[in-house]
Amino acid sequence: MTTFDFLMQGLVVAMSPMILMYALIGVTLGTAVGVLPGIGPALTVALLLPVTYGLDPAGSLIMFAGIYYGGMYGGSTTSILLNTPGESASIVTALEGNKMARAGRGGPALATAAIGSFVAGLIATLALAFLAPYVVKLALIFGPREYFALMMLAFVTVSAAFGDSAMKGLTSLFVGLALGLVGIDQLTGQTRLAFDVPELRDGIEITTLAVALFAIGEALFVASQGNVIADTIQAVKGSVWMTRADWARSWKPWLRGTVIGFPIGAMPAGGAEIGTFLSYAAEKRLSKHPEEFGHGAIEGVAGPEAANNASAAGTLVPLLTLGLPTSATAAILLAGFQQFGLQPGPLLFATSPQLVWGLIASLLVANIMLLVLNLPMIRLWVKLLMIPKPWLYAGILVFATLGTIGINPSPVELAMLLIFGVMGFLMRLYGYPIAPAVVGLILGPMAEQHLRRALAISQGDWTTLLASPISAVILLVATLALVVPMLMRMRGKGQLLSQMASDED
Amino acid sequence: MTENTTATKRRPDGAALIVAAVLAALGLLLIREGFSIPDKAGYAGIGSGGMPKVIGFGMLILSAGHVLAAFRNAKTVAADDVKPQFGPVLWIMAGLLLQLLLLRHAGFAIASGLLFACTAAGFGKRNLALTLPIGIALALLIYGIFDQLLKLKLPAGVLEKLLFGG
Amino acid sequence: MKHTLLSAAFAAALVTGFAAPALATDYMIMAPAAPGGGWDSTARSMQEVLQTEGISPSVQVQNVPGAGGTVGLAQFASTSAGDPSQLIVGGYVMVGAILNNDSPVSLADVTPIARLTGEAVAIAVSAASPIQNINELVDMMKADPGSVSWAGGSAGGVDHITVGLLAKAAGVDPTKINYVAFSGGGEALAAILGNQVTVGISGVGEFLPQVEAGTMRILAVSTADKWVGTDAPTLIESGYDVNVQNWRMVAAAPGLSAEQKAAVSADIDKMVQSAGWKSMLETKGWADTYLAGADFDAQLAKDVESTTTILKEIGLVK
Repeated sequence: MTTFDFLMQGLVVAMSPMILMYALIGVTLGTAVGVLPGIGPALTVALLLPVTYGLDPAGSLIMFAGIYYGGMYGGSTTSILLNTPGESASIVTALEGNKMARAGRGGPALATAAIGSFVAGLIATLALAFLAPYVVKLALIFGPREYFALMMLAFVTVSAAFGDSAMKGLTSLFVGLALGLVGIDQLTGQTRLAFDVPELRDGIEITTLAVALFAIGEALFVASQGNVIADTIQAVKGSVWMTRADWARSWKPWLRGTVIGFPIGAMPAGGAEIGTFLSYAAEKRLSKHPEEFGHGAIEGVAGPEAANNASAAGTLVPLLTLGLPTSATAAILLAGFQQFGLQPGPLLFATSPQLVWGLIASLLVANIMLLVLNLPMIRLWVKLLMIPKPWLYAGILVFATLGTIGINPSPVELAMLLIFGVMGFLMRLYGYPIAPAVVGLILGPMAEQHLRRALAISQGDWTTLLASPISAVILLVATLALVVPMLMRMRGKGQLLSQMASDED
Repeated sequence: MTENTTATKRRPDGAALIVAAVLAALGLLLIREGFSIPDKAGYAGIGSGGMPKVIGFGMLILSAGHVLAAFRNAKTVAADDVKPQFGPVLWIMAGLLLQLLLLRHAGFAIASGLLFACTAAGFGKRNLALTLPIGIALALLIYGIFDQLLKLKLPAGVLEKLLFGG
Repeated sequence: MKHTLLSAAFAAALVTGFAAPALATDYMIMAPAAPGGGWDSTARSMQEVLQTEGISPSVQVQNVPGAGGTVGLAQFASTSAGDPSQLIVGGYVMVGAILNNDSPVSLADVTPIARLTGEAVAIAVSAASPIQNINELVDMMKADPGSVSWAGGSAGGVDHITVGLLAKAAGVDPTKINYVAFSGGGEALAAILGNQVTVGISGVGEFLPQVEAGTMRILAVSTADKWVGTDAPTLIESGYDVNVQNWRMVAAAPGLSAEQKAAVSADIDKMVQSAGWKSMLETKGWADTYLAGADFDAQLAKDVESTTTILKEIGLVK
């Protein structure tokens, strides 16, 4: 049978009413747990995997796919509505998505996230089905020096999220970088900046910092402003649904996000966050409305959400073709596969095609189910914002701490929420952007490790970074991305100064 | 840090100076840490202490930048025109602190109910006799859904054991 | 003020109303490594067998990666005390890592239950590598130790120790080896497959599927006898006096009562004796080296002592 036949066969099985029912249950459960801040798709699947035991293979496979997609979508919902990223890959979504929600455009933001996730999931799953063997060859070319170059590119381009004042953005970034140093250094096993607190040896959880800075810092800030900004939150303004203009501004970011996210997800040490950062930066550069970024640009939701979902499908490439679980989510998927008698490895496509194609068909069906289920729900979700502020924020804080408590109810972890929450409040109060700190915490340790691995392999020779054509090109692009805007600013210096004078939001 | 919220535009920006001091302290801490870690750099030439030094140095530069900006009289760091109120902030911080302290012993519902009530108080709903029961009820509902149905492990206390049988 | 009164009241209610928790049969197994490595798959295999054999209704696996498992171990020791539902997977790697990191938490801070499996450490190259056998590799190390980059697990772990022992046995200064630590089995494998490093070292089970697919070649294994599934020579056969076996174990939380420990031991024993576990070992290519009770405690003490000597000799621990 050909690839196509296998896929069709899988889809036919997946379309029976009972199977669709399982898909529906899976998606609902997945969304319910995935919506918790700090609980990403990996943990959602891990928590709910036992639910799928006892079903027949087709049923449990589809429910499993549903939970996975539901968990992923749940994270973006809280990002947009409550400014509380559910996982590190939806941090970028919060930047523009929540601004949109505050301006009464939560409906279109949720819709572009849902449809973008669907489009990206669809294309990326098909790419997984037909291109996996080729993509994986490309992904293996990436070694430590190429990853380091990629991190540098992400650092430079993501400065688009830094806001208007370079100094404040850099300050926030360096705070994140410093926090990233805390804990055991993977390469030598030496402990840094842990001050003999055992919990700090694990380093600082990205989700802990993100939830604290975004959700708790925000609650503190809003409370401190008294009633002044009470009226700036509007639950619904205009249509709940996407307008023609929204569609016109969304479809290209969806496609670009997919193209950026899929290959990065396929790289063994890529990570879904990097794809969302790069997508956000690309959309800001390419947008016809760059001035809207930071104030609720729909492209800034559409692109990163698509990139996130595409990279999730990308993660399956090394898993299915090489048997390499390269992320926590992939490792959990591996456990799920083993439950279906599937041994992921380099020969998987050859030895158990029915199961592989059954899985891919299930992913497609779950993806559709998610869209069908969630579009009508948007109307309900945005009503959340009509809850009076005291109740809304009280609820947000209970939810924001719930994820942390569910994972690790240690006082140190909760104390970090409190301390970083206060830090987020002060940063907001004095106009320091929040996102760069989180970016620094994510990218800093990765960049450091890849650099040191690359240098160890080359025995300390720094030219190794330029010796590989791929890393040389990426570093060149990164340098251009850094230098060109600087030159352009120097030419229009007067304009820059006036901008600096009014650098409050 | 709270007393600097009224930084004026004429005199040096006090808030910027405070930020500069914090950055300098952090930077020095990182650099000290960088030098105190035994060097196991191996063939890479950069050991565990390398990055702390680089980042610490960057922070010192940013600190100097803040000092310069503060004396240039630019409105660098000053807060928004709205004078922030700290009462509500303290309410919420107290709520988080109570949750932290009580979670292990009193259980999820009571600790989170208190956080709920304190946050509502921070936003003006000071009637604890109303908000606390609502908060505890909400937390119990969450506990029921997530711990009992969805297998997310949450700390159980008296109330949870009473209602769900531990 | 109201709050302090309230909390005091609750605390009082708590002290009087606190009942001893019922013995849980749901397990949470911590895999103190990134997804994809040996401990991770041990934890997940236990998860599957415990559930399918009906020993525990629900088992969850949690990954806490880093520094040879000491990050996970420290977290486990500090957060699970007295909770019989918490298990942690560990092994020989941890023994070395505790010493290497000068970890404040050691295996004495948990309750070791049983040794489950043992595995050979294998030295492998990608199929495209020009290196054909272990002697060629050693010759390269003798000529220029820095030019041979090794991809393996955490610094100071069993992979690292084996490389050090091989260097010493071959007459190369063990402090001169160029060892590149990766945080998980998946990442190290990708680096080997992508020809980013000269050679890789890891548990033989991680390489076997790749060997089967023709993408990798095993040069040697570290155990005294040949390993099932590969005809690669042992290091001893090749003329290097190195004999390392990477065993894996399961431990329970610190501070358990004798009955609680006995209950956990009984569950693990039931698991090890089950048909599901036997077939799991077979599919994974793991050798059954089950050892429990006082025998295991004695063996563990011996291993800790010998590892300390080895690590000092090869210069990883001062």
